[in-house]
Amino acid sequence: MFKKIIFPIIAGAMSLASYAGIASAETIKIGFNVPLTGFAAADGQSALHGAELAVEQVNANGGVNGNMLELVVYDDQASPKEAAPLAIKMITQDDVVAGVSGSYSGATRAAATIFSENSVPYISAYAIHPDITRAGDYVFRTSFMGEVQGRAGAKLIGEMLGKKRVTMITLNNDFGISLANGFKEKAGDFGIEIISEYEYSIKDREFGAIVSKIKSENPDAIYASGYFFTAGPLVRQLRAAGINQPVVGQEGYDSQKFIEIAGDASEGVMITTSLDRDSSNPVTQSFIEGFSNKAGYPADMVGASGHTAILVLADAMSRAGSTDKASLRDAIASTNLEASTGQISFNALGEVQKDVQVQVVRDGNWHHHSVVSDAELLAPPSK
Amino acid sequence: MLAIDILIQGFIQGSIYALIALGLTLVYGLLRILHVAHASLFTLGGYLGVLITNATGSLFLALILAMITVGFVGMLSYRILYRPLLSQPPLIALIASIGIFIASEEIFRIIFGPFSISYVSAPLQNQIEILPGISMSEARIMVVVLAFVLLLGVNWLSRRTRLGIATRATVIDPDMAMSSGVNVDVIRYSIFFIGSAFAAAAGVMVSLLNNLVEPTMGAVPSYKALAIIVLGGLGSVRGALIASLLLGIIETFGTIYLDDLLDRDSIAFAFLILVLMIRPKGIFSKG
Repeated sequence: MFKKIIFPIIAGAMSLASYAGIASAETIKIGFNVPLTGFAAADGQSALHGAELAVEQVNANGGVNGNMLELVVYDDQASPKEAAPLAIKMITQDDVVAGVSGSYSGATRAAATIFSENSVPYISAYAIHPDITRAGDYVFRTSFMGEVQGRAGAKLIGEMLGKKRVTMITLNNDFGISLANGFKEKAGDFGIEIISEYEYSIKDREFGAIVSKIKSENPDAIYASGYFFTAGPLVRQLRAAGINQPVVGQEGYDSQKFIEIAGDASEGVMITTSLDRDSSNPVTQSFIEGFSNKAGYPADMVGASGHTAILVLADAMSRAGSTDKASLRDAIASTNLEASTGQISFNALGEVQKDVQVQVVRDGNWHHHSVVSDAELLAPPSK
Repeated sequence: MLAIDILIQGFIQGSIYALIALGLTLVYGLLRILHVAHASLFTLGGYLGVLITNATGSLFLALILAMITVGFVGMLSYRILYRPLLSQPPLIALIASIGIFIASEEIFRIIFGPFSISYVSAPLQNQIEILPGISMSEARIMVVVLAFVLLLGVNWLSRRTRLGIATRATVIDPDMAMSSGVNVDVIRYSIFFIGSAFAAAAGVMVSLLNNLVEPTMGAVPSYKALAIIVLGGLGSVRGALIASLLLGIIETFGTIYLDDLLDRDSIAFAFLILVLMIRPKGIFSKG
């Protein structure tokens, strides 16, 4: 199952070994900034588990060109003022070959600028802000931008579910706003009329007033951006008030925790995301199994994103045949890899181009609902 | 109908604020210290509520145990944090309190993990029709009932018991109270116990409404409760309670009608600034 990726890595390692005469077993350092304390620590933990799993899988299969991977992990608290000095430290002191962000947008933007200025490749695993890849040629993103996912949400609600009168509940940070922008941009194309939009802050867990107002408006569907810790209480409160219309969320919900918090109210909730739990893709399957063994809780999108970013790097290193940063950057740019979050390739800006997965909660678990596959609709910006 | 529904939601929110703000205003009245770490006790109450309910199946037991345990932790915080600093300017105690609050978030994370925890089967979730067309979960109704019962209890304590009379005397003039034979230290321990137990009750109620507790759940109450006691006139119990309800209601309406301009927390502080411009010592201050 893992052979598709591993075979070229081993082959590369053997050819290098025969060329050099001896296999030099150096470790290749990859910088990894991730929030392990503070408000984003839960996501950080998952991202780290996913990244560590990928490193273990690569190393168990002989490493990259005979060299073992090593993660250099720093806690950035999801804060730009932490991430910037950490990026400098990773580049100048730890001498990392490349960096991966397992963090949120603010921290990732700050680090991306520094990696880019130093011409060290950097991959954003799941941060969504559009400016991240604009930091320079050395920055890539293996997850969807918020706008792309928002557009997929519009197609899901307006075309695939056929719901037209939609209320939006928008988280007022960069994540929620960019999702909402993507949704609004394409809503008209799918015949959606946005009858109202409410904003809330990331600290809110109490939505009584919004719920009462939505009940009086009686929409056909609700498009609500948020993370599992805001969406869990929100969905629970919506259903408790007797609002039974479809709720469509996004990858921020993508955690078993969402189902735990919302309980029975989570049944039927749909999200756009990048992890398909029912995928037949062997890389995804081995990730899902390996993650729950390692972490002790079921796989989630953030974990899969951390995993994917490391595999993309490992694959590029083996194709580049060296750890020279410029050739590694070129190898990443020409990636075409089957990873745990789908088929990964990049456009000119370093944005990933792939299908959007729709998952639905059924019997207390996330399951496959459908796939939004529309290259034109899902095209990320290329400059 | 919608307006009544939202008004009730605001009342529920205000009841929670009242439970949290009570301890804060009592401590301020007694020691002139802004007890920011009070919000950590609210979080601890939430965790104990969920953990004990999940272990025993009894929410009632969890509520009682959480209130008692957190009450003692509150007393401990007075003993080890504030008592040694009483001779210092209040600013020192405030800084220590903020430090404890920040550390506590990370301690919760280390002990209970970075992920939120939830009830295995959340109690009191049945819907009850309280007015024609308006139904509430039992948990929401319980928030208001509990706040009402606890606050009436404090009122009774304060007016009808020696402890209450001694507390009021200590607030007015600690030296005079001491020379009249009041053991000021006992009063302080008692107030920390009661205030902390109420914060724990609020934590349990919030955990029921949201079905989650998380290390950072005290972040918003930590500063919003400060805003409330400033609004109410620092140290005034009655003022803090009315400010809590007012703020709950204003915020709830604001969430619907001002959400394009301000988020919930900004509404609270915009209101605070407005009130302070008109009445610099809070709405209910005398003079």
